[in-house]
Amino acid sequence: MSSLQEFDVCIIGSGAGGGPIAYELAKAGYKTVVLEKGGWFDEEDFKKDEMLSRRKIFRSKIADERHVLEEPNADGTWSEDTTSEFWGGNIVGGASNFMSGYFHRLKPEDFRLLSEFGPIDGANIVDWPITYDDLEPYYTKAEHVLGISGKVVNHPNLEPRSTPDFPLPPTAEHPIANWFDKAAKDLGFHPLPMARGILSKPFNGRNSCEYSGYCGSYGCHSGAKASSRAALLNDAVKTGRCEIITYAKAYHINTDQQGNATSVDYYDKDGNSQQIKAKIITVACYSIESSRLLLSSNGEKHPNGIGNKYDQIGKNLHCCAGGTGHGVFDLSKLTVEQAAELKMRGPFFNRALQDWYFIDDKKEFGKRIKGGTIDFVFDPPSPTSDANALKRDDQNNLIWGTAFKQRLKSHFTQSRDFKFEVFCDWLPTDDCHVSLDKSEKDKWGSAVAKVKVGFHPHDLKVAQYIVNKGVQVMQQMGATQAYGNAFTAPTSNLIAGGLRFGHDPKTSALDADCRVHGTDNVFVTDGSFMPNGGSITPTWTIYANSFRVADKIKMQLASEKTTLQQS
Amino acid sequence: MLKASSTRSHSSEKAKKGAALKAYQGPLESGLNRRAFLRTSTAISLLAGFALTKPTFAIQQTAANSTASNNLATDGDIFTAQQQQVLDAVQMQLFPDDGDGPSAQDLNALVYLEWAMTDQQNIDDGDVDFIAKGITWLDDLAKQTHGGPFIKLTSRQQDKVLKQVAKSQAGENWLSLLMYYLTEALMLDPVYGGNPNMIGWQWLEHQPGFPAPITGKTYRDFL
Repeated sequence: MSSLQEFDVCIIGSGAGGGPIAYELAKAGYKTVVLEKGGWFDEEDFKKDEMLSRRKIFRSKIADERHVLEEPNADGTWSEDTTSEFWGGNIVGGASNFMSGYFHRLKPEDFRLLSEFGPIDGANIVDWPITYDDLEPYYTKAEHVLGISGKVVNHPNLEPRSTPDFPLPPTAEHPIANWFDKAAKDLGFHPLPMARGILSKPFNGRNSCEYSGYCGSYGCHSGAKASSRAALLNDAVKTGRCEIITYAKAYHINTDQQGNATSVDYYDKDGNSQQIKAKIITVACYSIESSRLLLSSNGEKHPNGIGNKYDQIGKNLHCCAGGTGHGVFDLSKLTVEQAAELKMRGPFFNRALQDWYFIDDKKEFGKRIKGGTIDFVFDPPSPTSDANALKRDDQNNLIWGTAFKQRLKSHFTQSRDFKFEVFCDWLPTDDCHVSLDKSEKDKWGSAVAKVKVGFHPHDLKVAQYIVNKGVQVMQQMGATQAYGNAFTAPTSNLIAGGLRFGHDPKTSALDADCRVHGTDNVFVTDGSFMPNGGSITPTWTIYANSFRVADKIKMQLASEKTTLQQS
Repeated sequence: MLKASSTRSHSSEKAKKGAALKAYQGPLESGLNRRAFLRTSTAISLLAGFALTKPTFAIQQTAANSTASNNLATDGDIFTAQQQQVLDAVQMQLFPDDGDGPSAQDLNALVYLEWAMTDQQNIDDGDVDFIAKGITWLDDLAKQTHGGPFIKLTSRQQDKVLKQVAKSQAGENWLSLLMYYLTEALMLDPVYGGNPNMIGWQWLEHQPGFPAPITGKTYRDFL
């Protein structure tokens, strides 16, 4: 391949952070190229096959590439091990192919956590360089371009909107949603229908959801799920101005004497090094890998990695703090009709509670604090894994024979398990960051990312408070067993930060437009920019911000063109 | 979906296959050296055979001599006819014909197991070798304690032997691994050879997703 390919924009990574850039810039007439490490698979490939996830098909394998993970031990020391759990999707469209699409917007207060709630010892809390009002138009744009379904219901913590409602009605609801609404109202809470990145009606050439009951980590066979691939890249490619290079592993961004990017080096499918030249480079490889790429890309002006003059690259990484809980219903204790309702598989639970997005419980916390969201959901079915787990009793003894068979039968035919997930801020600290590992290399010979995932004890306290509310709701619904746990393990599929944006290069990696400090033309458009994650899944915010940055890039390219024409 | 992932909770594929936490502790790890094991009573030292699990050299040999097959049909030469007989008998103990639901034979569990042994990851895990070795140890134990090979014992005697096997860590791991593949034969899509005519799903009233995997679009086509 020639090394003379020149583009207006080179986009590294094709997930939720990269898709909007490709879509917007190609539609605006610019020549764009997307470098994607994985292959191009689509609706024809996404069968509802448990083996796809059991074998991590469409995801990176630990033998090829991995992370070194440092976790805190109870005694204050740190454990260190390699893992492949932090790879989202090694595929065109990235991890957005395998998201559940539980979509929430941030609240205005999430953009000014420091001034709203004050500092917390040991946490690096800051206000954002933009406000909710700056991002609101792009949340709305994402609703209309991606096809987000939902219904606006007024509640005490509803964020402001510029449009009255979603462009698409909610997806079909499971009967449990009615049980939930009643229980939540009886407790004085405000049940919300959850918006989804899933089509409830055919939209823009994509089919609507067919309710197979196999969502989340299963790829979508109808095109209903608003993956970057289905919702954006297909259209971008149709313009004729967006080329997607698959099995292209970017490993170095080259910079000139001014510190600006000139080209990207990548390994092609055969392992040969290739180069792309572009006026603008955007990075969206999922937080850990975006930090790693910048740290790996040294140059004359950037001896320790692009934008790393003040040692900010890879800092202030965050996961989702929170927890999970379950309500298990014994069907034999219900009427035949009730049991039949709970056994239904296909439609969604689609409920959330945001009554504790801000917690004003002075007895518990002394002052008003930031809280979180509870989503009530179905996990993607994994019947084989469930059956295998049932071979051990509560004392961890192996059981087999008729005892095992009866245990299976009781679990699958006589009970139903409904789940909730709690999302809180994972406060950024000095103990949660990305660096380059000194010894571990990937299959291309590049240093892998070392990820330290310390948590702030405040997170655990907040999470437990909200988990208890979820358990209360499950009990009210009549669950035979209701339980929940807050956790401190990193959420491998929901990581953000690492390259937070801000006005001061000494305390941030990117400027307010998500341009890397110290460069004119390197942008980061995945979740890395977020100083804090908010108490929700970040995907919709990543899409929205990427649409926002796309406008900044268009303006920059247009002004360069004008300058050229004038000179 | 929240995926809380700690390397401690996902320490290995073995853990996913359901071996107990202290998996594969040999005599050295358990504080006994080989000689101390040999000094113990005959029955216990036979059980100790199960503790000497998955020798590294054997795993490497197996991996080197095997190639991944994209063909759903196997030529059935993973295990010998004798080994197959023992595995079939063990599977029927683990998942019996007890009048409620399909048995291991109804699920094609042995055919499925042999096919699963052509999966490169399972080969790399050393499962083929471990299962074969376990058959030898099982038969030795059956002869030692009941005077005959495992397949010649009555169902009650077989059950007794398996309970004895489960008392050693390695023996329990061996049974656990066979259970792992049994649950795959029970709950995976019929395209993989188990769960014929969805017999397992029907028994457990499990509603599968759609579209189902088809020949040419199974997981092995994406490896």
